[in-house]
Amino acid sequence: MASSKKYWQSVEELTGSSVVETLSKKEFVEEIPTDEFLGDKETLEASGTSRRDFLKYVGFTTAAASLAACEGPVRKSIPYLIKPDDITVGVADWYATTMADGYDFANILVKTREGRPILVMPNKEANGATNARVQASVLSLYDSQLRLKEPQVKGTAISWSDADSRIGDTLNELKKTKAPVVLLTGTLASPSTEKVISEFIAAYPNVKHVVYDAVSETGALDAFEAMYGTRTLPTYRLDIAKVIVSVGADFLGDWQGGYEKSYVAGRKPEAGKMSRHIQFESNMTLTGANADKRVGLKPTDQIFALINLYNAVTGENVTSKETPVDAAVKQAATQLKKAGSKGVVVTGLNDKNAQTIALAINNALQSKVLDTTVTNNVRKGNDADVAQVVADIVSGELAGLITYNVNPLYTLAAAKEVQAGLEKLKLSVALSVQNDATATAMNYVLPMSHYLESWGDVSITSGSYSLTQPTIQPLFNSRQLQDVLLKWSGNNTSYDDYLKAFWSTSILKGASWNQALHDGIFTKKTANKLSAKTISVADAASKLVTATTPSDYELNLFTSIALGDGQQANNPWLQELPDPITRAAWDNYITMSFADARALGFSNPIKDNGAVDGDYAKLSVNGVEIVAPVMIQPGQAKGSFGLALGYGRTQGLKDAMQVGVNAYPLYSNANHIQTGVSIEKVSGTHQFACTQVQKTIAGRHEILKQASLDQVVNAPVHDWNKPAMASLNHKEVVANSVDLWEAHNREVGHHFNLSIDLTSCTGCGACVVACHAENNVPVVGKREVRTGRDMHWLRIDRYYSSEVETREEAKALGLSGGDLYKAIETEAENPTVAFQPMMCQHCNKAPCETVCPVAATSHGRQGQNQMAYNRCVGTRYCANNCPYRVRRFNWFNYSNNNEFDFNMNDDYGKMVLNPDVVVRSRGVMEKCSMCIQMTQATILTAKKEGRKVKANEFATACSTACSTGAMVFGDVNNSEDTVAQLKEDKRAFHVLDAIGTKPNVVYQVKVKNTNEA
Amino acid sequence: MSSHYEAPIREPLILGEKSYHDITVDIAKPIEGKANKNWYIAFYIALAAMLWGFGCIFYTIGTGIGTWGLNKNIGWAWDITNFVWWVGIGHAGTLISAVLLLFRQKWRMAINRSAEAMTIFAVFQAGLFPIIHMGRPWNGYWVLPMPNQFGSLWVNFNSPLLWDVFAISTYLSVSLIFWWTGLLPDFAMIRDRAVKPFQKKIYSLLSFGWSGRAKDWQRFEEVSLVLAGLATPLVLSVHTIVSMDFATSINPGWHSTIFPPYFVAGAIFSGFAMVQTLLGIMRKVTNLENYITRLHIEYMNIVIILTGGIVAVAYATEFFIAWYTASPYENYTYLSVGAATGPYAWAFWSLIFFNILTPQLLWFRKIRRSFIWSFIISIFINIGMWFERFDIIAIVLSKGHLPSTWWRFEPTFVDVGIFIGTIGFFFVLFLLYARTFPVIAQAEVKTILKSSGESYKKLRDGNHE
Repeated sequence: MASSKKYWQSVEELTGSSVVETLSKKEFVEEIPTDEFLGDKETLEASGTSRRDFLKYVGFTTAAASLAACEGPVRKSIPYLIKPDDITVGVADWYATTMADGYDFANILVKTREGRPILVMPNKEANGATNARVQASVLSLYDSQLRLKEPQVKGTAISWSDADSRIGDTLNELKKTKAPVVLLTGTLASPSTEKVISEFIAAYPNVKHVVYDAVSETGALDAFEAMYGTRTLPTYRLDIAKVIVSVGADFLGDWQGGYEKSYVAGRKPEAGKMSRHIQFESNMTLTGANADKRVGLKPTDQIFALINLYNAVTGENVTSKETPVDAAVKQAATQLKKAGSKGVVVTGLNDKNAQTIALAINNALQSKVLDTTVTNNVRKGNDADVAQVVADIVSGELAGLITYNVNPLYTLAAAKEVQAGLEKLKLSVALSVQNDATATAMNYVLPMSHYLESWGDVSITSGSYSLTQPTIQPLFNSRQLQDVLLKWSGNNTSYDDYLKAFWSTSILKGASWNQALHDGIFTKKTANKLSAKTISVADAASKLVTATTPSDYELNLFTSIALGDGQQANNPWLQELPDPITRAAWDNYITMSFADARALGFSNPIKDNGAVDGDYAKLSVNGVEIVAPVMIQPGQAKGSFGLALGYGRTQGLKDAMQVGVNAYPLYSNANHIQTGVSIEKVSGTHQFACTQVQKTIAGRHEILKQASLDQVVNAPVHDWNKPAMASLNHKEVVANSVDLWEAHNREVGHHFNLSIDLTSCTGCGACVVACHAENNVPVVGKREVRTGRDMHWLRIDRYYSSEVETREEAKALGLSGGDLYKAIETEAENPTVAFQPMMCQHCNKAPCETVCPVAATSHGRQGQNQMAYNRCVGTRYCANNCPYRVRRFNWFNYSNNNEFDFNMNDDYGKMVLNPDVVVRSRGVMEKCSMCIQMTQATILTAKKEGRKVKANEFATACSTACSTGAMVFGDVNNSEDTVAQLKEDKRAFHVLDAIGTKPNVVYQVKVKNTNEA
Repeated sequence: MSSHYEAPIREPLILGEKSYHDITVDIAKPIEGKANKNWYIAFYIALAAMLWGFGCIFYTIGTGIGTWGLNKNIGWAWDITNFVWWVGIGHAGTLISAVLLLFRQKWRMAINRSAEAMTIFAVFQAGLFPIIHMGRPWNGYWVLPMPNQFGSLWVNFNSPLLWDVFAISTYLSVSLIFWWTGLLPDFAMIRDRAVKPFQKKIYSLLSFGWSGRAKDWQRFEEVSLVLAGLATPLVLSVHTIVSMDFATSINPGWHSTIFPPYFVAGAIFSGFAMVQTLLGIMRKVTNLENYITRLHIEYMNIVIILTGGIVAVAYATEFFIAWYTASPYENYTYLSVGAATGPYAWAFWSLIFFNILTPQLLWFRKIRRSFIWSFIISIFINIGMWFERFDIIAIVLSKGHLPSTWWRFEPTFVDVGIFIGTIGFFFVLFLLYARTFPVIAQAEVKTILKSSGESYKKLRDGNHE
């Protein structure tokens, strides 16, 4: 239709005037007088281009040319010439895989962007749970400082084929002479790898495989073997437990791989279904902090308390000793008996006899919580075997040692002797990801692939088989263990083929490999309940009592939440993760009770810049001396000290990461309880880096509401969750109902809320690291954390109770003025502990928004308080006006700055950055964005697929990382979203609702089961 | 107006047997003569301090605000303390020259020029801080509501910081114009006396061609009156708005309705103290004892004790309210039991000592009329007023709503350096001013010579006999 229309530009054109035609053929209406200018040679010569003009032209052109030659910085971005099939730029790929580094085992999902893994999240469909270390492991992949890059012999690089043939020759020589060789690995829990190893041993019968856990659970393994016949660990179904009694077992920490998920599943106050948890321990652990009742107890007293508990439960009278807490033990026994098969006792004592007694109590209770149908494979180490290997190395009887991802020269108490003995070995090979102390001491050093570059399978618990698949090409010239061993055994199949074949014959048996790889897990039913043999408890108890010699001071070594056994000590995210209890980052320290600190003269003064200092102590145990700073720890049992393993690594680490002291030399006989400790104060002041210095809530209990299970079930809501009230027209009304401002219109679109259940939150810190990873949160280092400049968008506040909890109580005691304040500000000697994750509350009436002069922070239509970094001029007024103090300022440039030599100052380390989130520059404010890049991606995906966003489809990094389900994110405008109901829950409250900020983060009252009966 | 009647019992404002010419000579002397050694010593010290401060500023801008002692919980400390302190100091000038003009206070004539110079120089210092305290000062112009190509970006009119921008810039411009207007006849006087051609040229330019005609004088008087009318509300508005930086926030201790009047009183209090400090030195150095007399000092001390009284009542009110609310969040405001017993007790008690206790000495006439005592007390008040702002900012921020965020602040050498630098900068400007500007509004002083000059008073007293 349109084509038939004709347009003309003028009447002349319409009438067809000849002028138009002539003109249309001529580009220039008038003649260009070229001849006039160039034709006359004389005028041309006479024309005045003077020397000055010439120079001007030259000058200008030179300047212009050189300016044009200046280039901007070259950005190394290489576009795909041919698009790979499985990569769409800007779209993340997720792979199900499994982490198993000998200490942490987890079914995970890995997010990759343009071929780079950038985030680790729990594979919840495979019942996966991640702790802080698993979350942070993706950064260890890019650790160009510590990772081995080339095969080496005595420090010089060689090729893999050279290494293979030279090591092969030596192995064959040793085989001929039947000289013993040990393959020392951590717990592998990998069916196919075990087969590979057995084939290797078949090829070299002189090789023995010894499993070495840096932090041992041998006691539990041996006790279980003695009673049930297989050397493994049981699983504990804490979700069905009614009464849990733990004697020194930090099961919310690293004890037997951690049990926080099932523990929290059994603590749902709504249904009144909440276990009662009693913890006997000496250090203040995460588990003790979460317990309903925590009893501080010296390590050796824990042993006696365990026996007394056995006596009290069974009515027997085996040998024991009195402890100061026998009343509490009896009470615990009564509750256990009442709970019957729903009761359970766990102990962290690494002693066969102690573990036997715990198993015996569970047997006496006929505990169903102790599940022998599913066994737990995360620890397999055998202390006796390891001790034999050490002895053989020292005596020179061992001819060859091949280590795989263990670092005995750091983790063994006898590391020095072993190091000296290594020279006597004919063959020493380190198969290692890291260039650690052991790797540097061995002759051959072969770089291993990180688990994110590897194939593999893991059976974390019996009946479940998880797959590990590579998410990136190996960054360095590395191989994986299985490939190396296959090659040495003369098998030329690559391990991935081997694995596939192994799975199809031994595991899948007809099921789909692709499906298993997609899911990351394959489960089989195995339900043979193991029956317990009768073991003489009296015998075990008397052995225990004889072996235990209490002393005035005892040491309880433990693993910290951040570093665990210390494998990832070069990971800045973990170093910067504050300990959930002490809130100190970048350090380990001797924890000490108030009473002992007073007696020995230790203190932790707060300096004028807000930082905490400490005194040094010299700790001697069985002739080993170390000097470490002292942190006074409320709840620490008198006469006991705590000290975290995993710190003090030096070999290969960046200077900034060489923090703390190595406690492994004190870990003799793999016993984390050491008696006969002496301590003395030595000179010097240690500078701690704590992210929180005020320890109590100072009477402001409406910030973190707590209630007992009884209250929640039986009492009216206003008794235990009363909203803040205000006076309006002389009537008491709910403070939140009074407002000066017009409300945002929330009817249309999404309205995001985050619910945080303080009952379910154990304080583990996985969300903190997840937030680091997802949002490119910078690491600032010890000095900056110390002076209160950590950049965490999400932090977990920890509050201890005080002896005097409120002003009213203090007044009743006759306190006033400064004494009153001191009373509510000072933590109790054995306090209860509460955790509160705190991030931007995304207030609907945000105080930060009104004060920014340039409107850099403003309110989103979806409830988020948004921060426009590039508009921010950095007045910091918003941070000052934020009652939650969650805004973080970029005091310096944290990327590409040698002063902050962490992952953002390193080409490899930068590969972990999330391309969806900008890296902030100096001088701007930043804070939690409620992962707006994730919510927008969800919306766009739904839009592209032409559907509505599904219920509970929205997520943030923290809510995804949370294993216990304490954090629930979603859209309250969608009534099907869980968060919509949680917002209206009777336990729901807002922090500081009295000031009318109307946050979009809602907390659920913390509930403890304080029922003593 | 010059023949305005004045009661004989009033003390003279101009001492000595001064004639009109004597006044001219006295006031032109520092400009026409050579600077003495003391001036040079003072100038070089000030210059060194200023350069040091500039160095610290460049270091801050080049490296980041992290060079200061601030942290995640305390986002302002010395920066805004210094800002408010300098703005407060700036208040006396306008009050003296504008409000006292409207109230026909003749004694202001001897001090208004220097007071207003002080104002302008102090506002310069004050204005530095909001700029350098920004994380990205190079984008500081974004706080100006100007058409731009960044998209539909506009400033946030809800923000008190934006109000500050308007308040301070208005104040600075009005003060500057008012000051300059007053300077015109005096510059002309210097111009007419100048013998060196360069000097003559400069002062000709500065005096805007003042000819001394009756019409000039008429317009001068009118403009002065109009500007005084304009400047008077500014005396109240500037510090009101500065106080709103705190009062409109939600921090306990900041969120307080009495802040505007209390801040204005505090500003005048500190401004007069600073005038007292400066004049105490200047009258000696420039031999102007006959013009800045005991009576001037006493009058200013009376203003100080009045405004100091207002401030003390405000403190008491704040303390009472913090207690009376019985809110645990108000326990730790800068005026509370928590502050008096907490880690910042030293700052709290410094404030009480310097700002409440010391000014009480001025109730004694002897002290009030003593140059040395006034000088010492004025220094104390300057310190006290600095502590007031430091307490308001640092103590309040150190104890926020959530106890987990309680922290402390310690200045770094950069914080201190910048503060010292502004003091140096201020004195550099003031010392240069004292050598090049007529430091007393001689034209105005001459108008009261016959009514308030000692010689004329004596003459009149004699006649009465």
